[in-house]
Amino acid sequence: MTMNKILNSGWVRPFLLIVVMLILWDLAIRFFNVPAYLVPTPFSVVEQLWKEWPMLLKEVGPTTWATLGGFALSVLVGVPIAMLIAYSKLVESYVYPLLVFSQSVPKIAVAPLFVVWFGFGIIPKIIVAFLLGFFPVVVSTVMGFKSVEQDMIDLARSMGSTRLQMFFKINLPQALPAIFSGMKVSVTLAVVGAVVGEFVGSNSGIGYVLQKANGNFDLPLMFAALVVLSMMGVILFALIDFLESLMIPWHASQRNDHLVSS
Amino acid sequence: MKRRNLALTTLSAVALSLLSCVANAQPKEKVSLMLNWYLYSEHAPFFLGKEKGFFDAEGIDLDIQEGRGSGPTIQAVAAKSVPFGYADVSTMIKVASKGAPVKAVGVALQKSPMSVMGLSERNIKKPEDIKGKIVAMTPGDSMSQIWPLFLKKTGLKEGDYKVVSGDGQTKLNAVINGQADLLLGYLMDQNIKIQDATKKPVTVIPFADYGINMVVSGIIAHKDMLKEKPDLVKKFMRAATRSFEEATKNPEAAVDAMLKANAKAGQRDSLIVGLKLTTPLYHTPETAKLRPFRVSPKDMNDSFALLLEYGGLEKSAGKADDYYTNEFLP
Repeated sequence: MTMNKILNSGWVRPFLLIVVMLILWDLAIRFFNVPAYLVPTPFSVVEQLWKEWPMLLKEVGPTTWATLGGFALSVLVGVPIAMLIAYSKLVESYVYPLLVFSQSVPKIAVAPLFVVWFGFGIIPKIIVAFLLGFFPVVVSTVMGFKSVEQDMIDLARSMGSTRLQMFFKINLPQALPAIFSGMKVSVTLAVVGAVVGEFVGSNSGIGYVLQKANGNFDLPLMFAALVVLSMMGVILFALIDFLESLMIPWHASQRNDHLVSS
Repeated sequence: MKRRNLALTTLSAVALSLLSCVANAQPKEKVSLMLNWYLYSEHAPFFLGKEKGFFDAEGIDLDIQEGRGSGPTIQAVAAKSVPFGYADVSTMIKVASKGAPVKAVGVALQKSPMSVMGLSERNIKKPEDIKGKIVAMTPGDSMSQIWPLFLKKTGLKEGDYKVVSGDGQTKLNAVINGQADLLLGYLMDQNIKIQDATKKPVTVIPFADYGINMVVSGIIAHKDMLKEKPDLVKKFMRAATRSFEEATKNPEAAVDAMLKANAKAGQRDSLIVGLKLTTPLYHTPETAKLRPFRVSPKDMNDSFALLLEYGGLEKSAGKADDYYTNEFLP
């Protein structure tokens, strides 16, 4: 009974899936006879992860800062822009198409220029992370503010509330779920952006490790770095999820029934 | 009944076309060569050989494909996606030491083009001048791995200079825009690009001048093919050898042949300068009298020793002999 309970708890399920996937990965390599120079075995990746853990942990730092920097910028810039777009048809008609246009520019192509303009520090990494991360924030936030029920606003207005009151009591709370979903997408993209920035020019970070492993043809280390990177993404995602549960405990996405069923 | 007739007609048509194929007497075999990178001057000899009919003469219809780095090219050869690859031999040794069944059947660049270079106006003429300067390099590439040996040979220390790391484009940008004084690069590649961009002269300090030599590009093939189709390998290498000899004599024609095949390969003048800097790398003093691609055991052993000490090659990799052969060369 208790075993059953553990196996069915929300935290364990993804790990179970990971274990199953690792086994499938290993079996696929054995079954199809995939050589180690094309795909490393899960064991060699875990081994490298274990061996290089201190180094990887050290390099996670710069990548995390760049990611958080880019993400913070995405929210600080994205949410106000989205509010302007949501409340002003004029701003929307001018700015929105441009934003979409800018989003279609491949960031990897312009990333080398950021190093030229801003040097080899953390700034070009933050900018690439920001460029990848801010669009989902804008799109979701616009949708969030636009989907506030008109009836609610009419009601509040009829009761004589000020614009500021309406914003904090009705518009913002109603938009928050959408903003949070945009932020969740944004933070995972910011991780990608930070690594792209590190590829292009950086003396540290997981992107640097990846480049080095690539040069040495060290596939296990490369995969280990990718695992660390993915874990970073998961943790940041979970943090925002936690923040969301604190700020909008009333929303459907925060009801835990999908985790404790059965 | 009708359907059966149709089937018969089709069958006989197929049979007829097959017959005519055989009658055409030995159709040329289509053979692909995957390069290490997008086209640049180093690749021009293959196009010259194709244009001059050296490959045709061996019954080979040569198909030249651009690559994206030596690593993927070697993997493609190991996976039998392409029969021949043109790639960095030291990278090939690393991949082969991890189990890839590939071998070098000829080494094109036997003298190392690895250098440290920068704009001449920065007054860096000898290694001591590097002190206090900023050097741009790509983490994990062969040059950044050999760099510590260059320091040792020239009496420099790790803290004497500052490093900025980035990919190939960033290295170039950094030197062109003055964010770095020097970069680690190939003496027939980045120096030309910097010169083209800035219109200023570039000073190059080759590692080879300080006794550091390492074989570079070569032709890679799958071990199975060496066993199953030794004749094809021999034919291919005969044509390639003639191509490289011809390109040494006539670099302009080689570049023109490449530009004719792909007009986007680069600017004619820069490519010719690049190729003229490349052909002297075909031979070391050891192989000065030999035809191209024939590498000396000593040069291979020296490179192998460097890989073991600086290149991250594991001791279990064995010895240089396991990774190359001259027996398919003319």
